[in-house]
This record gives sequence, C-alpha cells and structure tokens, in this order.
Amino acid sequence: MTTTSPGARAERSPEAPTSTRSIGVAIVGSGGDGVVLLGNLMLKLAARSGLYGVQVLSYGPQIRGGESAAVLRLSEAPVQYEGDEVDVLLCFRASDLRRFEGGIRLGRDSRVLLDVTDTAPLPEWLGTETPEVFRFPFARIENGLEVPGDPRNMLGFGLLCRMLGFEAESARTALREKFEHRHEALAKNLAAFDRGYGADPAPAGLVPLHGTGRDLAIETGNEAIARAAIEAGVGFFAGYPITPSSEIMETLLEELPPAQGKVIQAEDEIAALGMVLGASFGGVPAMTATSGPGLSLMTEMLGLSSMAELPAVIVDCQRAGPATGMPSRTEQGDLFHAVFAGHGDFPRIVLGAFDVVHARAVTHRAFHLAETYQMPVLVLSDAYIAQRSEIHDPTPTPPARVQRLRWEPGGSPARFDVTDAHGVGAFRVPGTPEGTYLAAGIEHTLDGRPTADGTVHHQMNTKRFAKLDAVARATQDAFVALGRDDATHGVLAWGSTMGVLREWIALHPDFRAFLPEILEPFPIESFEKWRLGLEDLAVLELSFQGQLYRALAGVTDLTGARSATRSGGIPLTRRDLDRLLLKEKP
Amino acid sequence: MKPKEYRSDLEPVWCNGCGDFGLLKGLTQALSDLEIVPEKLAVVSGIGCSSRLAGYTRSYSFNSLHGRALPIATGLKVARPDLTTVVVGGDGDGFSIGLGHVPAAIRRNVNLTYAVLDNGLYGLTKGQSSPTSTIAFKKSHELAGQNEEPLDPVMLVLAAGCGFVARTHAGNLPHVRQMLREAIAYPGFAFVHALAACVTYQSSSYATDLYARCDALPAEHDPTDIVGAMARARTDRFQLGVLYRRPVGEAAKTA
Repeated sequence: MTTTSPGARAERSPEAPTSTRSIGVAIVGSGGDGVVLLGNLMLKLAARSGLYGVQVLSYGPQIRGGESAAVLRLSEAPVQYEGDEVDVLLCFRASDLRRFEGGIRLGRDSRVLLDVTDTAPLPEWLGTETPEVFRFPFARIENGLEVPGDPRNMLGFGLLCRMLGFEAESARTALREKFEHRHEALAKNLAAFDRGYGADPAPAGLVPLHGTGRDLAIETGNEAIARAAIEAGVGFFAGYPITPSSEIMETLLEELPPAQGKVIQAEDEIAALGMVLGASFGGVPAMTATSGPGLSLMTEMLGLSSMAELPAVIVDCQRAGPATGMPSRTEQGDLFHAVFAGHGDFPRIVLGAFDVVHARAVTHRAFHLAETYQMPVLVLSDAYIAQRSEIHDPTPTPPARVQRLRWEPGGSPARFDVTDAHGVGAFRVPGTPEGTYLAAGIEHTLDGRPTADGTVHHQMNTKRFAKLDAVARATQDAFVALGRDDATHGVLAWGSTMGVLREWIALHPDFRAFLPEILEPFPIESFEKWRLGLEDLAVLELSFQGQLYRALAGVTDLTGARSATRSGGIPLTRRDLDRLLLKEKP
Repeated sequence: MKPKEYRSDLEPVWCNGCGDFGLLKGLTQALSDLEIVPEKLAVVSGIGCSSRLAGYTRSYSFNSLHGRALPIATGLKVARPDLTTVVVGGDGDGFSIGLGHVPAAIRRNVNLTYAVLDNGLYGLTKGQSSPTSTIAFKKSHELAGQNEEPLDPVMLVLAAGCGFVARTHAGNLPHVRQMLREAIAYPGFAFVHALAACVTYQSSSYATDLYARCDALPAEHDPTDIVGAMARARTDRFQLGVLYRRPVGEAAKTA
C-alpha cells in the first residue's frame, strides 16, 4: 500500500502519475521564434480541457535573447516533473539544440519535427538514433536566402495541436484572446496556425489525452507565492530585481495595491529587508523575495529581525551559486545560508516549497509562523519552481489569517515579557497609547532597555529560543512521506526534488521517502519515527556539498546514512535517481 | 505636552557636553511645539553615539543597524503613514556605511525627517576619521584617509533632489528647535544637517572654532532657489538656516 503522511500535504493524491498517461513536448528555438508563447498556448489549451501539466523554460546564460527552450508535460493527473524523455521535439533550427545538452532527451518512440533544411543527423546525446522525423518548411527561402515568412511558433502551434488531437477551433479562440487588439498580428498568426494544422502530409498523431473537462488554473511558483502572500494578509512588500525571483515583486506590484497593500522596489536587498522590518515594526505583515546573492546581503537584517522580534517573511528563489553563479538555473545550495546565516545565536524558521501548488501552502504557513512567533521565516523556493508553470486544480479557500498577539493598554509592562507558553510577548503596535518602547538590535532587557549584562543576554537568548522550541512542537506534522510503510530503503529529500522523487518512488516499491516542509527547526521526532525499520538511508539533494545531510548530522545520528547529491543547473531526473539511489547504493 | 515629557526614562550614555544633548533637547522642543502625541511618533536610528538618541525619546523608537535607519523608516512610514517618523544618525552612519540609502530615500520623497548629527568622526569606536572629517583634522590626529577630501552632506542632498534642506548647530538650541520643527512640518523628505563637536576625540577648541565658522543665512536668501542654495552651501562658511525648501507639489529638478 502506498501512503501519504498525515502532514501538511495529506490532501495530495497518494498515487503518482506513472500509471496515468502523459505527453512530453520540447520546443527549441532562438530569440524571436516565440518559443515561450507557443509553450504558453499549449499549456492554456491543455488547462482548458482539464488536463494537468507543467512547463519548464530554459535559456542560455543570458536572461533575454539567445536560444530558448520550453519543455512541457501534459498529463491526465497532476504532475510536478517534466519527465526524463519527451515524446515530441519541435526544433526550428537543429543548431539551437546544442545549448540544451543534458536538458532534453528523446525516448524510443519519440517524434521529431525539424525544418526541411535540417538534414544532418541529430546529436547522439538526445538519446535515440532513430527517432521518427517529420520535416516541415518553417523557414521561407527565396533565391537561397531566408526571408520573413509565417511565424514559426504559429506553424508549430498548428502542427502540435494536430498531433496532440487538440481542436483547431479552441486554438483559434486562444489566439483571438491573445491578440485581441492586434488585428494584423492575429490574422497573420491565424493563417500560420491553419497552415500548420492543415499540413499535408500531416505528422502522425499521438493517442490523445483525456482531460477532466474542467477549466484548470495555470500559475508559476512566483505567482503562487505572491498571491498566497496577499491571501495571508501581507500589507507591505519590498524587493530588488533578481533572477529568478523578480516575478514575485512584479505580480505584487500589480495585485497588492488593489488589496490595500504597499510595494516598494528598494535600492538593494539590504534596504528591501530593512523596509520590511520597518513595516513589521509598524504592525503590518511584510515580505521580501530574493535569490541567493540578495539573501547574502540581507544577512545582518535577518539577525535584527530575530533580535528585535519582528515578524518577516523572506522568500529565497534559489539559483545555482555561489557569487553570481548561474542566475537562471536551479540548485538547493542556499540551505546552509538559510539555516545558519548571521552572526550570533538567533532563531529563525526555514520552510521549503515542493512545487507550485505547495508554494502557496508554504507561504500561508510562513505568515502564520512569522506573525505567531515574531521572528523571520525564510521560504526556500528555487528557479525550478519559481519560473515554471503548473496546471492545477482551482485554488482552495486559504486558511484563516493569523493575528499578531497584540498589546493593549494595561497589559504587561515589558515589551518582551513572556505572556504565553511560547516565549512570545504581546506586540506593541505603534499608535497604541501608553505602549511606546525601544526596539533594538542591541541586546536589551525584557522591557527593551539596552544592556551589556551577560546574564541578561543568556536569559534573552533562552527566551528567544523558547519560541523555536514552540515552533518545533507545533510543526512535527510538516512533512510528506511517500511510499510503502514497510519499504526498507529510505530517501530523505526536500524542496523541488519532490516532483521527480514522487514518480520514482512509485516505480520502486522497496523505497520510501521523507520530505520535510520545515527545515529549521527540523521535524526530528517525526523523522526518527519514520526512519524506524530502514536498512539504509540516502539524503538526496541538488547541491554539491549535500547541505541537508551535513546540517542533519548536527541533530541526529547519521550512521548508515549517505549523501546522494549532484550540483544543480539541471533539476534531478529519474535517470539521476537511478544512479544516485540504485547504482551508488552501498 | 512639555518638551521633557518627550523623554524616555533612559539616561543618555553620552559624554558631558556632547552635541547630541542639543539635538535631543531641540527635538523634544520641536515635538512639543508641534503637539505630536508620543504614540503617533516613531524615531528610527542606526548605530553610533547619536543613534542612541532614539531610545531617549518617548516614542515608538527603533535603534536598528549601522547605516540602515533610512530604509527601516521608509518601510515604516509607507506602511504606517499616520505616524510622524523622525530618523536620526551620525555622519558615519549616514554618509559612509549608509550612503547608498540617502539619495534613494530622497528620490522616494517619503515624508520623513532625517537629522544628521555631524561631528566629523566616529565617536563610539573612539575617534576614527569619518566621511566629513577635514584633512587638517585627520593629519593632526594621524587618522586614516589624509588625502581624502571630506564629503559635503548639504551639497549631496541638494544634488539628489531633497525638498527640504536645513543646517543648524547643536550648540544653538533655539535654532535646532526651529529647524527640526520646520523639517517635521514639511510634507516630504526633509534633511537637517546638525553641526556638532565631539568633546572626547576633538580638541577643546573644536566647538568654538566650528561655531566661529557659522553664519546665519542672510535675510535675502530665497529658500526656493536651488541654485542659490547650492552656492551658499559651497563656501568656506557654514550658513545656518533653511537653505532650500521646494514648494509643495513642485517636482525636483534633477534632469
């Protein structure tokens, strides 16, 4: 029997989608080919027919221009992983493929759509020597020179819709909506779509997928986090542009002011978190979002948030580091920074998002914890979740907003006095009569007076860390367990590794997996309980050092466990898991 | 409320005769003049001797990180526009480690009052040179950066488009009071440059010498004239008063 934990994601279907049908499509082109638009249109048609799916975009080292690829997987059940092999590869120019070595693979029965002029053999790394190739004149050649012709992406849209059995009229409707006010572009795109859809001979069709018929939602991880923050009551956001998190700020710039919140694009990430702490000091729930380099700059402010006991939600969309690293590529390399960053001893909470849908839930939890325990909460997303689009069921009603424990006149005389069992003092919101106090990064007494007394310092550390103990008690259920209870091989993983691991575990019934939603404080009691009966344990991560493995060694006995990792850049695949979990098994 | 009712019960850690006392007193007087209730007042500071001032006011005060008072105050004021928000700090806090935030805050023109107590050195860390230390002072005390020209805070904020720029001297209490009162009342980002001496790390004559270099702005000075304000800032003398006050609703001319 396959089980799911009673944790935060208990509502998730326990069945991985391996038994359900899916179709993987890769679209490869250059800047200007409109690869992303084509991918988005395919995803939209799928969502409208009630199909699930995921789309991952890939670029060269530059964020704009150059080669780009969209990899989609459409499925009859929810998916959080684009798959190891695509069923269809559409490539406008075979030379553009080079950049995506390792990122796109063909299966035995894959079909390839190429331009008629691309007759050279396909690169070996694609994984199959004899794919079924269909050639189509994407480029218009006159007198041996390429001249502007039909938009390639629309020709491809027609061909793909035909192959996947999507109705032409639905596709035309989607185009009419997209180019509503651009009549000339619409006519041109419709004509090109029809030319692709009506190609004679037509490419061989695939067995069509059957959607639920319900209109499903499409969202990126960044959009999900921004919207979840609004649902959770964020009143202030400050951020600084950085790949791959910028769309969180962009979405909030558009959607937070109508919800009576304020957004500032700060001058740097230090200022961004500073502004967040200022707003939070004012009693307003506040958030910032960044990536690794920005989080590095925020480090001193992180300590201030914890020291002055100001709630703050800090989203880190991890990218491959260190330094500038590979800005558009994913990695799980910021775990150490999130858990350990900063001078001095201070508590913070770190959460990890599994996928786009879970990013929403985890953001809700982040606000709940930050406001309840008056400390910084880091949400670790990554480039893989942040910028991919997922089709998902309509968003459920968000949980009730939490209210910060608020001081009223006549309450405790000391701001940092402990007024409940969790080490939390009643928060003095500016404007409250008789509540004036000093918030400070300098060590202070319970009533906020600056101090250099070592005994007081120890008492205050004890008080602040008591909150972390309370968080640990309250979050032992914040994990997901995958696989059969009696499986003897264990995998501990976190974050976006969930998508591929879920499918892999379904194919390997002698394995089970534990995925914490909360990484600090780690749900150690639940983990120890889950671990009973295992013969071995692999800690699976997308980071060179194996940061979770190393961090965990500080809180439990890892005898018999091993680190199973590789560097980021490209997300883990099922093939990687075979190698890391089967071949390298002791 | 009386000025002294704007003081918290914390005793200042400053040295006897420190210019910070003047700034604190002038601030409490200005707040009293403006009849601001303490629960609607926020005082935000960074780190340094003058940044201790936040804790000495009866307000929702925040003694934050070195150089970071402006972003914190910006977030607070934008999230809570109902609060009168005053930022205090020193020359090192504002014009060395925190410099990047100054033009950004000015350009945003959030309604904050930013008072910088400029004593031309780092007092809390025992007398190192600051961005406003003169070359002569650095040479006479064998401090770092003896070839580095001091930075002029008033020219800097004028160039960044600050809508209200005033200079005062911490030893002239009625003037400090008046400048802070006008700055707090100005409906936009307001900057007050408060000259002061450090009684511990500067010579005993520094305060007198500094004061001797100050003049009141001449009566004919037009505070809406940015070019005139810059000309008056760019002299060997410190001219005290409201150097620039952009009419409300007029955009900064920074093109």
